[in-house]
Parts: sequence; structure tokens; C-alpha cells
Amino acid sequence: MFNHIPEIGKTFVRPDAAGKSKGTEKYAADYYGDQLVWAGVRRAGIACGRIRNVDTSAAQSLPGVVAVLTAKDVPGTNRQGIVHKDQPVLAEDKVRYSGDAVALVLADDRATLDKALALLKVDIEPLPAVFTHEEALKPGAPVIHESHPGGNILLQAQIRQGNAVQALADCDVLIEESFDVPMQAHAFLETENGLAWQEPDGRIVLICSTQAPFRDRWEIGHALGIPMDKLRVSSPYLGGAFGGKDGATVQCFLALAAMHAQGRPVKMTWSREENFAAGYKRHAAHMEYRLGAKADGTLQALHCKLFYNTGAYAHLGGEVMALGMEHAGGPYRILHTLVEGWCVYTNQPIAGAMRGFGVAQVSFAAERMMDLLAAKLNMDPLDLRQKNALRRGDQNTSGVTMTQSTGIDACLAELQASPLWQNRSQWKEQASLFKRRGVGVSAVFNAIGYGRGLPDSAIAKIELTQEGNIRVYNGVTDMGQGNATAFVQIAGQILCQENNRFELIQPDTDRTLPSGSSSASRTTYTYGNALIKAAEDLRRKIIGRASLILLADTLDGLELLPGRVRDMQSGREIPLEMIASIMPPEDRICTSQFLMPVVRDKMNTGKEFVIGFPHLLFSYAAHLAAIEVDELTGAIEVKEYDAKTEAGHVLNPHTFTQQVHGAIAQGIGYALFEEIVTKDGRLMTPDFTTYHIPCAPDVPEMRSQIIETWEPSGPYGMKGVGEVGSNGPLPAIANALADACGVQMTCSPLSPERVLLALAQMKKQENPRQ
Amino acid sequence: MKIQFILNGEEIHLDVAADRRVVDLLREDLGFTGTKEGCGAGECGACSILVNGEHRLSCLMVAAQLAGAEIVTIEGLSGEKGFHPLQEAFIREGAVQCGFCTPGMIIAAEALLKSNPNPTREEIRSGLSGNLCRCTGYQKIVDAVSEASRIGKKTT
Amino acid sequence: MKNVWLPQNLTQLWACLDNEPDARFFAGGTDLLVQMRSRKVEAAAWIGLEKINEIKGIDEDKGSIRIGACVTHAQLLRHPLIAGKLSLLHKAIATLGSPPIRTMGTIGGNICTASPAGDTLPPLYVLQAEVEIFSFKGTQRLPIRDFISGPGRTKLQQGEILAAIHIKPSSGTDLHHFEKVGQRKSMCCAIASFAALWSLSSSGRIEKARLAWGSVGPTIVMDQDIEGFLIGKKLTRETLDRAAQLVEQRVAPIDDVRASADYRRKVSGHLLLRLLHFTQGCARRHIRDKGVADPPIG
Repeated sequence: MFNHIPEIGKTFVRPDAAGKSKGTEKYAADYYGDQLVWAGVRRAGIACGRIRNVDTSAAQSLPGVVAVLTAKDVPGTNRQGIVHKDQPVLAEDKVRYSGDAVALVLADDRATLDKALALLKVDIEPLPAVFTHEEALKPGAPVIHESHPGGNILLQAQIRQGNAVQALADCDVLIEESFDVPMQAHAFLETENGLAWQEPDGRIVLICSTQAPFRDRWEIGHALGIPMDKLRVSSPYLGGAFGGKDGATVQCFLALAAMHAQGRPVKMTWSREENFAAGYKRHAAHMEYRLGAKADGTLQALHCKLFYNTGAYAHLGGEVMALGMEHAGGPYRILHTLVEGWCVYTNQPIAGAMRGFGVAQVSFAAERMMDLLAAKLNMDPLDLRQKNALRRGDQNTSGVTMTQSTGIDACLAELQASPLWQNRSQWKEQASLFKRRGVGVSAVFNAIGYGRGLPDSAIAKIELTQEGNIRVYNGVTDMGQGNATAFVQIAGQILCQENNRFELIQPDTDRTLPSGSSSASRTTYTYGNALIKAAEDLRRKIIGRASLILLADTLDGLELLPGRVRDMQSGREIPLEMIASIMPPEDRICTSQFLMPVVRDKMNTGKEFVIGFPHLLFSYAAHLAAIEVDELTGAIEVKEYDAKTEAGHVLNPHTFTQQVHGAIAQGIGYALFEEIVTKDGRLMTPDFTTYHIPCAPDVPEMRSQIIETWEPSGPYGMKGVGEVGSNGPLPAIANALADACGVQMTCSPLSPERVLLALAQMKKQENPRQ
Repeated sequence: MKIQFILNGEEIHLDVAADRRVVDLLREDLGFTGTKEGCGAGECGACSILVNGEHRLSCLMVAAQLAGAEIVTIEGLSGEKGFHPLQEAFIREGAVQCGFCTPGMIIAAEALLKSNPNPTREEIRSGLSGNLCRCTGYQKIVDAVSEASRIGKKTT
Repeated sequence: MKNVWLPQNLTQLWACLDNEPDARFFAGGTDLLVQMRSRKVEAAAWIGLEKINEIKGIDEDKGSIRIGACVTHAQLLRHPLIAGKLSLLHKAIATLGSPPIRTMGTIGGNICTASPAGDTLPPLYVLQAEVEIFSFKGTQRLPIRDFISGPGRTKLQQGEILAAIHIKPSSGTDLHHFEKVGQRKSMCCAIASFAALWSLSSSGRIEKARLAWGSVGPTIVMDQDIEGFLIGKKLTRETLDRAAQLVEQRVAPIDDVRASADYRRKVSGHLLLRLLHFTQGCARRHIRDKGVADPPIG
């Protein structure tokens, strides 16, 4: 459609947009096969119990059923998991949450599959269950994982600088408050799914909607006892993920099913209800904060206790909590900090990775505390934040020196200058009958990358094809964030080729190279850096080979231009196809590995974290929400939203803004309506009629301003921006609510019911006799 | 049950179970995987198609209802010309991220513009309120539909 | 695999029913297919009513508007008679579901599903709509209040279909208001809803008041005591506050995952206060228009 050279810094249209708009781009969900077998899982239905018996006879004898498998049919360890392998593929003797898989059924068609699943007689003796962190931590509470040394504590950790407890006692001003946030669902539109088959040589091939195809091989291999080279996993573009497809969902079921399908392709697609019941969630959390400051607003000390409810299995619970703890103080200098964290097993659905990974939770607490402090000090909320904002060279609350780009002060300054903030009093005065208006702000940040303890690595692979095109082998899933677009821009910038010359291969463990998971706002940074080197190597290689045809005695006079190499002196040009024709296949490929730099500070805290702490690089944002509260219903409407975001230099303004917009919308859902509700561990919000995500009229017109800095370690100066935006809305809106009507919310979502109740309580306190 | 209907301008004859869901018929029986399924309960709009020019949800329709109808899916929207103006606008305005909601959104937008060729941004949001998107926050989608209506080409 | 029949007229319908006496009816399918997915309903066969001409169409005869049961919500929204003379119903339907759901769903379907949260119901009750029932034997009419007998239950017998709804539009000087409280702005089930039709004397006193609440009882709640309390009084904050307290006593909401009974009860009373908008200066302009009244949006 538009032929030009993809370049850095320009809005470059996504290469995948055309296919997606025409409906021709295939997602994993769009793959079918001949003689297709449909696979489905029967789930526990109760939160905790001992499996007495699973009677598969009726299901097995149903015509059209290909196989019925239980735990005894799982070779290998029957344990999946990313860091802790504590989750059975098929439950053995115990079920630990209502979505625990008990049996896997394969059938010729979906109707038969449904019938067979219903015919399974699953006899589970209910056992006492725990659902909150308090219940799980009580002495004598039922233990969810008997073999886990920490009992129901998956991980307990501390981050400590100075002496917070002592320092709090000496502060001029002290604020204490507790906060609670619920589970949130990713609600990506393409549910968990995949297609798998076994080749004649025994190798298992999977096409899967997954954020981590390379790690999936390892996870499947460990669970099912299959050597990694006997597994091939590819991930097409995902229909959304946001962390919910990080870690095995359908993968182990599919591989197991493929082994029992006599070479036929097996398809598993989770229904929306199954996605709610068995998909991963954002951790619910309880947070207790004590924040102390000097009379002039200088933050002095923070002591907080964080309880993350990780559900029945570990997934990435410890790492989520670690990141939350690392961000618990907000993007500020605080001299003394004590952050204590407990990541607790319960019989709730599994909490795992979700955009803003542990940080969305503490951002609510930290930023409400800042507003409470500002109110007590009679200080402007932005002035207070500006006074304490981290700057390059400071140490953060974990004791890490901010050696890299740190732009929160610029974000805050821009927000302070924004018309919405400047004119907020007038705007508020215009509220009509039964409406109250308020304006609230939040300052947020989010680390990028894995942190220490494991390689944050990407390996780029780029090829000059025989046709003279440039093929980029993307090693990391594009789940919608547009990293594939950035890679074409980087390669285009370096190789000076027009966009119609570029081919993209999406991750495939046979063809692309391991580049970690699509997570942690890391993908463009790591793969991009690797790609720069690989593309530069390829550029030099192409020029070098061209010199053989051009008989050039120096490479300096040769230039790589669209479709050709030119000898600048003679004017002679050689098309790329011709250069490719003299290169053997292995010569036409360049690869390069990049590891994200790690913190060099000698850490004297956070020793309990095996991986995931600390981080070197952060992106920052300052958000403003202007809301209207309806006094009759308690409903909050976000009328205006403004986000100032700093993530280094921007490679593509469109994809940057797309990420900010999307993150804000998810944050608004988290703030206003999204809440996974369970009763005895069973989902009371199992579908889109009971779990509401924002629809178009719910999201206001968003203003997004790019605050540019330059991150020296990043590809063309960029940092990841995927997550930081999702942390801003809940605190900004909660602060706006307090501004509008004095309601100080300590739990979320800020539903109409909660707000109306709070308004009524306030009225009673003001007029006790009425 | 034998049914006959028009799909993207072509006559289709099928012998299919009367209660087969239209979304399954389109995707599995006819290979038109552009129409997606996101919830199966009419709550997300990913399965949107045009039935006799109207925006309907194929996950809540059964094969028997197709008889004699004219169906257009996302694949049929571009026709011979390559790209429908809405598709062009979506691409140019950055309205596509993961893209899973995109076919349904474009179908919904086409139906909206047919009945309201010059919608305000609020009317666009309202017109698309039956289509969920989890990636974009809707803004660039509204930009795209606005742009398409401005350009004024709205016939299929 | 089930049989699905789509008769084109009533004669074909009765013949279908003869063959499949246990068949379930559907019109747009937006309720039935969802219920079948969640296995709340099983059906041996389905009969679709969408194509039956005799139960479609909107017309006016001798001052009464007849709406065919299979008229879709989208058709209602587009029709000048509905926008012009049944503005209260128009307002409620605009909040129902989403654009495609409104294209597929029918007013008859919404009535027969008889959910306490049905969006068409509070206005239909306030407008004193009558339903017309067809069977092989003939027709009969019932006030809608008598037709819906409980949550999800109507007086429809085997072999009967809802054929039409009859409404006498209110006078041009009547004021009306509709409000739906939900978790978000579209595609949501009402947590509470409120429809009101009233008229004022020349001195500003309430002459007539018909009020109906949805989602706060097993069926739509209307209460003569509340209406009686308002008659003769002026629309003031005090009056409405006292009436609101009465409302809280008369509604019978339940707790569910969307909202607690307490919240529903409180909001039911509060929604009455919204009528104060009609006493504000900017709303008087609306009163002068032909009964089309919108609370001013901030």
C-alpha cells in the first residue's frame, strides 16, 4: 500500500495491519486440519478436594470419542510451571482450585466432546479450603502444597534501606492506610487455544497462542517427559495476551493429546467461560502502608506490608510480588524503606502475569498515600510529587542507582502545565445537579525486563533471501504490541530497503531463535538491540559480497540502497538478487545475541528473590483523570484523561500511543468495573455479562503526550512502554474521587455501589442526627 | 437441511445441520476465518457479519436463518478493489493492534456509516458499543471511522 | 442436531406446532441461544418467529399504536411513530444491549423473556401497554402487568404466541423520564431502572404520575401508594425525598453478583430525585416541547 523505507522515529504503518483488516491474517485460533480431533478438559468444579475416583467408562464408550486421559496417562513429571513446577497437567489425588484439570478428552467433533466431558463421573471429596491470605496464613490452616517448605507462603521477602521503623517515629507527618485490590482478568479476545499434531517420526508440532514458544518447549518437555528437540512450537500473531498467555495454558494438554491422536491434528480452544475459570489472573492484594515525611514534604520513610494472593499454583507469583515490592514506594526518593511481602497460596484461581505485573496494585496504594500526605501538608499534589521525584543519579527505594534515563520529573512538569490541571477549579464548578466533579493525578513507573537472576536475552536472525528481500526472523511473540513493526523499522533504517522488501517470520522454534517471552515490556528493547547488530552485520556482508561483483578495492565507496548496492564512484549498481545469488544459504544469514544490562549496584537487600530483582531500567508516566460522580447512583464517569509518558526515544509514535491508549483503557476497567468475584473459590463472574471490560462509550477521549528522553542502552534510545500506562488510572481516578466529594477509597473497583455507600457514610458522619 | 444463500457475492449451497451456529459454518465449513469468536454469547462482537446489510452476531445465529439471506463477512468487504475505505482508514490511523476485534469492528462500522454517514465521535462510540476491544482503548478506532466517513466512500 | 423451523405466516406456524408440540419459540435468538449455551434451557426443536408477517410492522389506528411482536428494537428506534409518540419507550430501547443485539432482538422477545431487568418493561408498564396473544383458536388481549406473572414467567400457554403490543400514546403535555443504572454504558444488564410518566397542572402540581422500577423485584414494580403520595404535590426536593423513602420500602430487590439488594433499594429511591431536573430552568424549555424531556447532560 505505501512503499517507503521504514525508518526510526516515523509513524510506520504496521506490516500486519493489512492482513488483520482484511481478515486474512491467521491466528492460532484460525488453524484447523483434516480429520481434526477436538480436545477438551473436565475441570474440578470445587476449590479443594481429594479425588476419590474418575469413572471414564461412559465417556470412553461414546462413539466418536478418540481417547480419555487422566493423570496416569501423563508421562514425565506431570508438573508444569515457569519457576516452580507445582501444577499438575492432570490432577492426581488432589484438586486445589475449581479450574484444576481432572481429565482430558479427545473426540471427533465438538458436540461429542461436550457430551463425553459431561459423561465423566468425577468423584471429589471436598476438603476445607482457604480463599484469603488471612485464612491461608492462620496457624493450622489447610496446607495447599504439602511438599512446599513454606506452607502456604510461596515466597516471603523484604526490601530494606536504612531504618524505616525508627525513621517513621521521627517524621513530622505520618500517614497510615490499608488498601485492597481484587483479581482482574486479561479478557483478551482470542481465548487460549492451539493446534498440535504428531509427525511420523514422533516429533510434536504445536501452533499456539502463546507469549513464550521457546519456554513452552521446556515446560512441555518437563511435564510430559519429551526431549526439547522433539517439540516444535510456533506462535502466530496473538489476539491479545497481556500476560495471560505467558506460561502453559493449552500447551501440555495439546502435546499429550497429540500423542494419542494417531497422527491426526488436535485442536483445543477454551470457551470464554473456561478462560475465566482456568485462565490466569492479576493477583488480588492487600497492602498496609505507613508513609512519613518532613513538614516541607520531603519523603522520609515508608513501611509497607504487601500480601499477594497467588491462588492455587505459583505461576509467576513470587516474581509478581517482587516487582510490586520494588515499586511499592512509587517513583520517588525515600531515604528509609521497609517493604515486606508475602505471596500466599490459596484455593482461588491462579494468579500470574498481567500487564503491570504486581505494580498496578502498589501504584494504587502509593499514589493514594501521596495524595493523603499532600492533603495533610496542605500541599499541591503535583508539587509534592515533583519535590520527591526520582532523577537520574538518585537511588531508588531498593537502593539501585538510577544510572539510566529517568523522566518522571519531566512528565510531572508537563502535567502541571496541562490545561486540564491549570483550569481544574473552573471545570469543577461547572458540575450540574447531582454531579460532582474532581481531578486527580498519579505518578507511575514500571521496570522493563526480567531483572537479575536469569538472562534477559534475545537472538536476532536476519536473512537476505534469494529474491533479494530481507527476512526478519522474529524470536519473540507479537501479541499486538507491534514489536514486529519496530523490527521492520530497525532493519529498514539500517539496510535502507523499502517496506515491500521485508518479510517477517513470526516465532517458530525451528526457524527463529530464542528471544525470551513477550513480556516485561522487554521485547523491542532486547530483540531490537540484537537486531541492530545483526542488521549491521548483514549490511556489511551484503556490501562485502557486492564488492566481489563490482571489483571494488575498498568497501567505503559502496552504499546499500533500496534493492541494490551502488558503487558511488562509478555509479554501477548491482541488484540484491544478484548479490544473493553468489551467496550460499548460510552466508545470507546473520545472527546476534543481546543481553539486557543488569544492575551493577551491590545489593544489600532482597536476598530472598532468586530471580526478578532488581531492575535497571524504568519507564515513567504522569496521569490525570477528570471525573464526574453521580450523587444519586455513585457512578463515576471519566470525562477527560491525560497521560504524559516517558520511555526513552520513540521508534514509532503510532505504536507508542497505541500502547498508552490501550493501557489506560485497561486501567479504567480496573478502576471502575473489573472485579473477579468468587464464592467458595468458584467464579461468580464467569463471562462477559458479569465481568465487564470497558466498551467504546466508557473510555473518554484520551490525551497522550510523549515525553522524550534518550536511553543510551536502548535500541535507538528507546525503552519499553507496554505496561507503565496500566498503573496510572486507578490511583488517578481514586484521587479524583476524593477531590470530587471527599470519598477516600481504599478498595477497588470504584463501583457505583461502593461510592454510593461511601457517600452515605460521609453524610452520616457530617449529620449524625439525620 | 439444504440451504442456499449469498456469501460475499457468491451463491452458496450447503447441506448442513439446521442448528449449526453460523460462526462455525463460516469458519470451519467454508474456511472464512476472518470472522472470529470471542465469547459465543453475543457479548463481544468479534463474530459480527452483515446479514442483508444489517449488523448481526453470527454466534447467535443458526444455519436455518441463512436461507435466502445475503451475507457479507470481512473477506467480502474488500471485494475486487483490494481494500475497503474502512480497512484503509483502520490501517492508516493505527486502529489495528492485535487485530482480533478488527474484522468485527469494521463490519460494525460499515453498518453504522450506512445508516449514519456523518457520525460524531460520540455516535461512533455508541455505534461500536457492541464490539469489545482490549488493546486500543478505542480512540484510534474512532479516528479511523471518523476518517472513513470524512472521505465519504461508504458503499461496499 | 435439532430441527429449526422458520414459518413465513401463521398458517405455517400452526402446522409447525402440530408437528413439534414441544418446540421452543425464538425471534431474534439473542436470549434463547445464550440460555441454551449456558444450558438453562433445553429444546427438542426450535421455531423461529422472525419471518411471520402477521406479527411484524408498526401502525397507528384510532389513536392506538400497534407494534408487532417481531419488530426489532432497531426498527423501533428508527420508526417516527415511536420516536415521536412513544418517546419514553424509545429512550429505554436505546439503552438495551448493543447495536447488533438491537438489530436482532425483538420487543416480543424482551417481553416474553420477562426478565425483571428487561429494558422495555418499565416503559411498557407505565404506558399501560396491552399484549395481544394469538393461538390457533383465536386472539386475546391482556394488560402487560397481568401478562408477566413472575421472573421469567408469562401467561403464555402451549400453542400461544405473543403477537403484538398495543399502546395508547400519552398526551402531548405529559412529561416522561427513563433511566437505567448499569455497570457500564452499553451491553449491560440493568442493576436498577426507572420509567416515569407524569403531568403537571397549571399551578405546577402533579396531576398524574405513573412510575415503574425494573430489576428491583421479581417483576416490574409499580406502587399506587407512591403514585398517590405525589398527586397534588409540587415537584420539590422535599416531596421527592419523602417519596424516595417510600420507594425504598416498596421495592424488593435481591443480592446478586452485579449489585446488592441494599444498593438497588437505595438507588431506586434516588432515581426519583432525578425528576428535579424538570424543575430546573433549563429543563422548562423541554417541557414546552411535545413531551420530549431529557435531563440536561452536564
